[in-house]
Amino acid sequence: MRVMIAGVGHPNLRDLSIGPALVPTLRDMTWPDEVDVDDWSFGPIAVVQRIEDRPGHYERIVLLSAVERGLEPGTVTCSRWGGALPDAEEIQARIGEAVMGIISIDNLLIVGEHFRAWPSDVRVVEVEPDACEFGMDFSPRIAASLDDIVAAVRRAALDEDHG
Amino acid sequence: MCFKNLPIEFDAQGRATLLQGVRDPYAYETRSLADQEDKIKDLLARNGHIKSVDFDPVTRVAGALAFHSVVDLKERRVLETNSMATLFRGYEVILKGRDPRDAAYISSRACGVCGGVHSSTSALTMEMAFPVVPPPFGIVVRNLMLALEFWYDNPLHLFLLAGPDYSQAIVQTTNPQIWEKAQVTAAPNAEIHGYGAIGDLMTDLNPLTGSLYLGGLQMTRVAREAYVLIGGKYPHPETVIPGGMSTTVTLTTFNEVFARLRQLFDYAKRSVAIWDDLCDFFYDVDPEYKKVGARPANMIDVGIWDDPFAYDASYENCNEWGERRWATPGAIVDGEVVTTKLQAINIGVEEFIEHSYYEPWGEPRFATDPAGNPISPYHMWNKETRPQPVGQNWREKYSWSTAPRWDRKAMEGECTARLWNTAAGGVMPHRKFLEPTGTSLKMLLPRSTMPEMEIEWKIPDVWNAFERNRGRAYHIAYTTVVAFENWLLGLDLLKQGHDRVHTPFEPPRNGSQIGVGFWGAGRGYLTHHATIDNGALSNYQILTPSTWNASPRDPWGNPGPYEEAVLNTPILEEFDGPDSYKGIDILRTIRSFDPCMPCTTHIHVDGSDHVVTREVNTCACGIDG
Repeated sequence: MRVMIAGVGHPNLRDLSIGPALVPTLRDMTWPDEVDVDDWSFGPIAVVQRIEDRPGHYERIVLLSAVERGLEPGTVTCSRWGGALPDAEEIQARIGEAVMGIISIDNLLIVGEHFRAWPSDVRVVEVEPDACEFGMDFSPRIAASLDDIVAAVRRAALDEDHG
Repeated sequence: MCFKNLPIEFDAQGRATLLQGVRDPYAYETRSLADQEDKIKDLLARNGHIKSVDFDPVTRVAGALAFHSVVDLKERRVLETNSMATLFRGYEVILKGRDPRDAAYISSRACGVCGGVHSSTSALTMEMAFPVVPPPFGIVVRNLMLALEFWYDNPLHLFLLAGPDYSQAIVQTTNPQIWEKAQVTAAPNAEIHGYGAIGDLMTDLNPLTGSLYLGGLQMTRVAREAYVLIGGKYPHPETVIPGGMSTTVTLTTFNEVFARLRQLFDYAKRSVAIWDDLCDFFYDVDPEYKKVGARPANMIDVGIWDDPFAYDASYENCNEWGERRWATPGAIVDGEVVTTKLQAINIGVEEFIEHSYYEPWGEPRFATDPAGNPISPYHMWNKETRPQPVGQNWREKYSWSTAPRWDRKAMEGECTARLWNTAAGGVMPHRKFLEPTGTSLKMLLPRSTMPEMEIEWKIPDVWNAFERNRGRAYHIAYTTVVAFENWLLGLDLLKQGHDRVHTPFEPPRNGSQIGVGFWGAGRGYLTHHATIDNGALSNYQILTPSTWNASPRDPWGNPGPYEEAVLNTPILEEFDGPDSYKGIDILRTIRSFDPCMPCTTHIHVDGSDHVVTREVNTCACGIDG
């Protein structure tokens, strides 16, 4: 199965940047030949256009990102993207944000779904951040969870605990 | 004599001095807004048809903008307006104390759409301060980079942000009668853009589904691809530095850029044809549309695209090298270009904060610019950024935007000013593809899939929302021919072996230096002003086009451009009552300025560990005057 693992988020925002920040670590790991790891710290429209270059190539996409959802900091969740879209006006707003510099996992999922860029299997590994200010290091709590986060990504990518 | 309000006169040699005998030449008295506010409150209380209409946030604009208006739905006119920049950027504060070489990288982050223009403006600022002059090929490549960035900005505005306001989806809802006419009105430029009826064109402007909307998205890719070939990254390039570029640019790079450039030849022809047809259709349907977004043609621009054999980075010679730019610098007052001299433009600018969330700053450091011309205590070289967040109050402070004024007039930072200044200024020397006539600018778009085509932008007799949009479409053409000429120039330089893109420099370690970058964003005017003391930035001021346009009222109570343009806008929308009123005429007006409220990203909130990475809403309702 051809799998893309992508880190999503702005760089240099401590825990919020966990997606792109872990890309080098994920790249250094041993993966099956058909697994690619990429840094998607750029706009969702550019991501969609990149996927459109190889239509249907990836059968599964795993997105890693930190998002503030009000959970206990350090919480790692893994979910399948269900493909539900908001109304047209909201999609327009998300596309507008996408071309004007906003990088967010929610925007990416909506924009990708709207343009039918996603394969049927999109998995999202989310991390609840603790520190969200400028900086390149992780908070102690997230730093202590890195192995768990990487393991969650690996499980999602290789279907180790998904049906 | 270009100044009517500032206490400055010029001698026969063009040297500026303060008027003799004026005791405190830049002093002014502030006019209270209380009377007007009380009047509006009273009207609101006594008349059911007078409503507060708030757009918070204004959607389909870059960044955080809120707009408050009071509208008389019976008389169909706007009574009161307030433009609010709802986020503090703070790059001026972040840059203080930094190594001046970092400024290009940091200031680039001021905008998530067009960061590269800040990089270049910062590089120009440092080139003046250090000083260092890039080699000709480095200047040509920088010109090309700017054009590539505009290919992202202008289509985005025309087809994704402002364009939907003229789409079938919107027009059918807000003005069904106009939509009926559009479907049966032949498009005069059908042979160029391919739409038989205006209605067909409007349908393809529909958001999410229209091919013009989707084509605009696709064009962002073309622009990004071309840009990163040289810049490495978009929108925050890694290769724009003082003294030129920090990358190797070869014939292969040029060829790869050309593969994208030639796509613009036809795209520009179609964009111009589309917006000519749209604007003229609305005027024909109802001449009142000429009043939508209307205000006096008061604009300011500092010119862009340097002549590689004229630019020497000095302030002393900036009047000369400025006039050799492909886009002529200029201040336009009531439609007349009153100066094309960069020094006169620079010394006429002041920033006021009476209605902005800032504290006054201390004694001015400079009485004159480096050429000895007087500058105001409110000029950017004297200004300090001192944030003062307080509650919103229409009588007092209500915006994070300052109120920039030139000769104490509210000017627009507007890309059409480039066409206007070049057309009327008569000094632009590069005539291969451009011909200024005094009242128009002719542009020769090369052959691609479509044949070679001469298009002509004419100075409009009214200045309004439609002409701003039309101007942006012509600006794509302007940008494209300038890019092509610089591409040809670059090839010539490469052939002659002049492939050096950078001049080495040593940044100053001691003493004081001063610089200004005169450049531009896709929307218009952009300057950075900096002072350096003992090797570190001691002050840094960024003035963007949207700061000019989103300006709140000035000390004399005069509205900023958004505010004034909306005040002059008639309500032409069809509606049954307040509940069905959408405010499309106001929104068309605001969006015609291509607002960019830099910047929504990476805003640090003092005293917390929180970073705002997207726009916020600021409820304008319930504000107590």
